[in-house]
Amino acid sequence: MIDSIPEMDGTILEVRNLTKHFPIKRGLLKRTVGAVKAVDDVSFNLKQGETLGLVGESGCGKTTTSRCILRAIDPTSGEIMFRTADGQAVNVATLPNREMRPLRREMQMIFQDPFSSLNSRMSLLDIVGEPLLVHGMTDGDERQERVAELLRLVGLRPEYMQRYPHAFSGGERQRIGIARALALHPRLVVADEPVSALDVSVQAQVINLLMDLQDEFELTYLFVAHDISVVKQISDRVAVLYVGKIVELADTAELFTKPRHPYSEALLAAVPVADPRLHREDRKLLEGEVANPANPPSGCYFHPRCPYVQDVCRTETPVLSEVSPGHFASCHRVQDLELTGIAQVDRKST
Amino acid sequence: MTETQSSAVLSVKDLMVHYPTDEGVVKALDGVSLDIQPGQTLGVVGESGCGKSTIGRAILQILDKPGQIVGGEILWNDPEKGSGSSQVDLTVQEPNGPEMRAIRGGDIALVFQEPMTSFSPIHTIGNQMSEAITLHQDKTAAEAKEWSMELMNMVGIPNPPQRFDEYSYQLSGGLRQRAMIAMAISCDPKLLIADEPTTALDVTTQAQILDLLRGLQETNKMAIMLITHNLGVIAEMADDVVVMYLGRAVESGPVDDIFHQPKHPYSKGLLESIPSVQASGHERLPSIAGSIPHPFNRPSGCTFRPRCPSFMSGVCDMNVPQYLTLDGGQQKVSCFLHHSPSGVEEVSSHD
Repeated sequence: MIDSIPEMDGTILEVRNLTKHFPIKRGLLKRTVGAVKAVDDVSFNLKQGETLGLVGESGCGKTTTSRCILRAIDPTSGEIMFRTADGQAVNVATLPNREMRPLRREMQMIFQDPFSSLNSRMSLLDIVGEPLLVHGMTDGDERQERVAELLRLVGLRPEYMQRYPHAFSGGERQRIGIARALALHPRLVVADEPVSALDVSVQAQVINLLMDLQDEFELTYLFVAHDISVVKQISDRVAVLYVGKIVELADTAELFTKPRHPYSEALLAAVPVADPRLHREDRKLLEGEVANPANPPSGCYFHPRCPYVQDVCRTETPVLSEVSPGHFASCHRVQDLELTGIAQVDRKST
Repeated sequence: MTETQSSAVLSVKDLMVHYPTDEGVVKALDGVSLDIQPGQTLGVVGESGCGKSTIGRAILQILDKPGQIVGGEILWNDPEKGSGSSQVDLTVQEPNGPEMRAIRGGDIALVFQEPMTSFSPIHTIGNQMSEAITLHQDKTAAEAKEWSMELMNMVGIPNPPQRFDEYSYQLSGGLRQRAMIAMAISCDPKLLIADEPTTALDVTTQAQILDLLRGLQETNKMAIMLITHNLGVIAEMADDVVVMYLGRAVESGPVDDIFHQPKHPYSKGLLESIPSVQASGHERLPSIAGSIPHPFNRPSGCTFRPRCPSFMSGVCDMNVPQYLTLDGGQQKVSCFLHHSPSGVEEVSSHD
């Protein structure tokens, strides 16, 4: 199953046809009566040092995708090719747990909720030091030194390492979570909604920190968030998910200015912009709600809400295809639609 | 809007709400003043712990225990009580007295943040809507049912006869929030307090709900007090804005002034620190240093001083800035950059 992934362009991760179905069980015998197609044939790749943003509304499968990549859950099918530090390509999707373990130091996770993702009975030294201990740094002094270094790195004072999480604010806790994720020099960091639980003024600090750390250690981020403006700020490329499928994937600036999928257009139109002078009365609001992944509509999953729907959309499932170099969209009408993005303005001029 | 103060449908003046706890007193509101004009939307914006939700709850006298109003007034201007002085101070009303009960849900309605937990799970949606209607209006059960279904239609709930008999868990988040809004407007309120009405919703649903609120305001001419941390929502919805920090209003004014000429360093910092979908490139975000202080650990003087880039030693830490109207404008700000501390109360006398 070990397959090669293109080494030349620095691809660190290639996800191919990833699918995750959760069975729905009913009745006394717990028979499987259906499946929630949380992730449905998702493919993308990640280059070393870049940030790919995964955006979408609740139930679109963005968290499930990221958990499959880290093998926190086992995917139903598909391949997750990961290039290890020594240049080998391994398929994370099918690797036995034993062989998975050494890989875990290369892929780490930053969680959403800084209040529940830190053990309140462990001091900072234990929290940040635990991955070090698990991966063989048994010498206490050495570990303490590394923890101090990590805390300094994320902007916390090393003197605090004997304290417990309750003594810290939300933003500081998120920094602790980041220090823990970086302890083992990972190459791929999956950040699942890392700033959505934080206040606006603190959110900016954490985004800046993540960007600085990326520059310093050449980290690769898979950045999962529902807030499009946050994703815009940090990502090089963005993938838009809708009911378990990628509907569009492109460079960040291109996706925001020239979206090619009607759902991306609607998502951009729906984001409230903090400028009262910007009147967007003519924007199109979507009707209805996100489809149920246990019982998705026929054809294109977006067709019941799509303002540009045609007959073909109701029956045939569109495929994700490259519409211009590096820009992928999955829409039957991609060639004849003129969609509106968000005009970019220079921040300083406003 | 000082000149039009008398026409305000609701005026909050120096409101103080304290939560006495075992560890000390939490000053959730520490002297807040604001005015809501009839038919307009007042946006109340701030981060966690700034007291923005407490204002809404204090107005309706539904503060969580042990919270209590310890000072200030909430003047409710009842337009139907004829001309002349028709102001009622809500702070002196008995929370469970007949006056307050008539106002709560009748003249002033509230939309909560969490549509899941604010409905009773054991009563149908229709049941809960009709209850509010029969309580406040002289209608029979059949009339109430009819009116409920009409309201459901108005807020865009498909198939009202079916939804009327459903329970809240059978509705999606967006529909539940619509039902909540239908219930709130059922008695034709003069003021709708919407406390983070879209925070739990997806962006496309959020846009629908905001659109609905705008449409309802146009037809019902009600005032809306929109409480949220989302500056984008404020920019799209509000006519006037109040920016809060640690239990105080630090700045207020017309929405355009607040977003384009913010005067208080906190408002400025807040606006700069939000990532924008319009921004070109991804340079670093300007951010506000530090974090919101713990409620037991309020800084002396100006509460924003430890995080303020324009902190003036000997001024900001020694005096509490007053909340004053700027010259010739409608903007109010509490900051020593905009008025001198001379003659202002000293810290010691305040605490």
